Amino acid sequence: MVHNETSSQKIKRAPVHEGMKNHYITFALSIILTALAFFAVMNSDLGSGFVYFFIVILAFVQAILQILFWMHMKDRGHLYAQVTFVVAALVLLPIMVTALFWIWW
Amino acid sequence: MASHAASHHEVKRYKGLMDWLTTVDHKKIAILYLASGLFFFVLGGIEALLIRIQLMFPMFNFLDGQTYNEVLTMHGTTMIFLVAMPLVFAMWNAAVPLQIGARDVAFPFLNSLGFWVFLFGGILLNLSWFLGGAPDAGWTMYAPLALREFSGPGNDYYLIGLQIAGIGSLLSGINFLATIINMRAPGMTFMRMPLFTWTTLVTSLIILFALTPLAVGLIEMTFDRLFDAKFFNPAGGGSPVLWEHIFWIFGHPEVYILVLPAFGIISEVVATFSSKRLFGYGSMVFATSLIGLLSFMVWVHHMFTVGMGPIANALFGVATSLIAIPTGIKIFNWLFTMWGGHLRFTTASLYAFSFIPSFVMGGVTGVMLALPPADYQFHDTYFVVAHFHYVIVGGVVLGLFAGMYYWWPKMFGRMLNETLGKISFWFWIIGFHLTFFIQHFLGLWGMPRRVFTYLENQGWDLPNLVSTIGAFLMAISVILFVINVVITWAKKPDAPGDPWDGRTLEWSIPSPAPEYNFRQIPLIRGLDCYWKEKMAGNKEMTPAEPLGPIHMPSPSILPFIMALGLFISGIGFIMSKYEFENSFLVAIFHSYAVGILGLVILFVCMIIRSLKDDPGYHIEPEELEAKGAKA
Amino acid sequence: MSAHSHTDHLPAELEKATLEGRNKILGFWLFLGAECALFGTLFASYLALRGNNMGGPTANELFDLSIVALATFILLTSSLFSVLAVHEMHRHNLGKVRFWLAATVLFGLAFLALEIYEFVHYVHEGHTFSSSAFASSFYSLVGFHGSHVLFGVCWIALLVAQLGRKGLTVVTGPKIYVAALYWHFIDVVWVFIFTVVYLMGKVG
Repeated sequence: MVHNETSSQKIKRAPVHEGMKNHYITFALSIILTALAFFAVMNSDLGSGFVYFFIVILAFVQAILQILFWMHMKDRGHLYAQVTFVVAALVLLPIMVTALFWIWW
Repeated sequence: MASHAASHHEVKRYKGLMDWLTTVDHKKIAILYLASGLFFFVLGGIEALLIRIQLMFPMFNFLDGQTYNEVLTMHGTTMIFLVAMPLVFAMWNAAVPLQIGARDVAFPFLNSLGFWVFLFGGILLNLSWFLGGAPDAGWTMYAPLALREFSGPGNDYYLIGLQIAGIGSLLSGINFLATIINMRAPGMTFMRMPLFTWTTLVTSLIILFALTPLAVGLIEMTFDRLFDAKFFNPAGGGSPVLWEHIFWIFGHPEVYILVLPAFGIISEVVATFSSKRLFGYGSMVFATSLIGLLSFMVWVHHMFTVGMGPIANALFGVATSLIAIPTGIKIFNWLFTMWGGHLRFTTASLYAFSFIPSFVMGGVTGVMLALPPADYQFHDTYFVVAHFHYVIVGGVVLGLFAGMYYWWPKMFGRMLNETLGKISFWFWIIGFHLTFFIQHFLGLWGMPRRVFTYLENQGWDLPNLVSTIGAFLMAISVILFVINVVITWAKKPDAPGDPWDGRTLEWSIPSPAPEYNFRQIPLIRGLDCYWKEKMAGNKEMTPAEPLGPIHMPSPSILPFIMALGLFISGIGFIMSKYEFENSFLVAIFHSYAVGILGLVILFVCMIIRSLKDDPGYHIEPEELEAKGAKA
Repeated sequence: MSAHSHTDHLPAELEKATLEGRNKILGFWLFLGAECALFGTLFASYLALRGNNMGGPTANELFDLSIVALATFILLTSSLFSVLAVHEMHRHNLGKVRFWLAATVLFGLAFLALEIYEFVHYVHEGHTFSSSAFASSFYSLVGFHGSHVLFGVCWIALLVAQLGRKGLTVVTGPKIYVAALYWHFIDVVWVFIFTVVYLMGKVG
């Protein structure tokens, strides 16, 4: 059964369908970021410490792009999704950082 | 179009056993969780008595070492996973949708699935007693003791039984989060929700992030034991400490999953029976959220002696001590609620009021344990056993009993007998303190935990005897409680809708709650919304919608079958390691045929569920008029 | 107002038109949060154990970046296809929705084929599930991701079939949206897998 939009949704008339442009840009950027990471690894002139740091940053940037655009997180009505993911990151971060520290000490 | 079809759709309605097997109604699911939780409570309690009998005298021969290890492991595992968590889910299902003005949870089908999956997981776990021995490596299942090399088949039942039951917990967490976020009645902003709903929200968030690490740990150890993986086996490059990290990243948030709902219940019961609104609502919400967040940052305090070094230990020691602060805020707020209030002593409020000093005692020993240098002395002694029983029994269990006596009329339409309740309360509280207070000293005097006996004349003989006597007092209390439940069940269901002069929304509807909860969704005008209406002179809540047909979800047998499929699969994979004599059994189990069959059943049911749309059925206004106030 | 004209009676955002739909989307986001913790734990286990290959082949010796690059490109493209499917759903184009979903499934299967080929190759190199802690954690992490891809492939294939019968409605709309969310999620996880497992394995 179809319910009408709630009044709060009627008020926020942000653009719903911006078309596919942003999605194609995200795709292209993802390819570029991936290629950058692969080339950084295959180029043995760069120091391994730098490469580690670089590819991890690239991965996070790509992940954020895909989550925001492809998973519509930046669109209206996604407050709870955003909060959940931020909390998830806050929970994951101590776990992963501890794991990394623990191995490398 | 869809609604047009739904009102013509004939939906099967069941009676009797089939009604209970197919229900997706949160109120019935609450009763299912309650009954199962109480059944396992008796089982876990018997296991506790066996432990205490064996430890009653030095060098006693009541149980041998192996059996004792199994009883010990099962006692802890049962109480945490098959008693405390299900009873918490029972309270959630009984109260939360009613407290927020919803007609059901967001995912009624998943609600039912969560229950059946828990029950089959619990059954699988306990089947181990009959199939070669129960798990025996402690509820914490540390590697390498828990691996194939050092233990029998019992630990597989733990790993797979809890894996299955854990799915249920995760589903409940997601369900209640979505329900509370999306389905509150008009006017109920987050800061107008009752505290029990708030603690449900935060606890569900904890479940969301804590249960999956457990699932991963369990599957990794399952791989080690069943498929010769090398996660935790040092011989293959694995790491036993990795197991500890993964287990406690789950295990510490788990104890907050248990205690936060108890905090929520205490907030409701203390306010109601002090005839006064909860003091410091905003700070209670803040404290609950902070506890939820911090609960993920302290897990290493279970591992101070593992050798991570002083810096790691110090960081986590500080984080652990920090958790005491929001908890302290809560304690003071409860005390200030009681101060100046008109205190009423019912069984529910007796449990709630006694929670406060009991839990505080457990909390302060927690702060002692939080200091790494001190913990080196306390670790693996009875001091720790005393601490966690104080916070779990003196905290979670007292809270759950308070909640049961409080919400029993809403669930069953009958009040538990107050005289019998008070007598069983006194047996419980005296027995509890008698059993566990002395254990602090046993720990300080050097008695290690998880020992099946001890030598005489170390100064431990009399304390252990005293502790056992306390356990028997608690057993008497449980027997009285069971008698109370049975005689109450035989009574007429004529409890009033609002037996306690309550403050929150669930007391504005009849007891037991009708099938559809609210004839009309109410309009919420403030915190303690029902009290607000009472103070304005209204007998009932103001409705937020006109009377109309109420859409209800259809019952379904699929959750039961899906859980059964998982159970069959679990049995199949566990038995793949058994040495059978019968060649047919060898053929079907060693080929994983049974394990795979169970999964096939599960996936087929998922496909059926996806393909068959569930239009539900409607309760028409005429039926509502005719039914009046009864279900 | 929206840029396209709808002559049918369906609302613009099918997936959010009903309470059930909104619940399903929220519930699924919550589930993805739990899955983050699941993969996070698998990553942590892998990071802890990846150095312990017990004399067997190391990550650097095993991994072939060209296959990984191809697999990454395939999965990324399949994720784009699912975006297109949701886009067409918002335009109420049933045929195009089914087309793009089918394309997603096809590329997902190609990804799986590559991964199976890769695993078979590793087993021949002496890198089996039981050979070491590195091996167990590698196969568990990458294998779990692969099984998620397999589940997604079956799910979306079933959805394509269902849509043929039921069409685009306020009931099937959320199904498409949620399936696409799931598919994007496993692509995001793959970004971290190829970074942490394969690229870091090659760096040493």
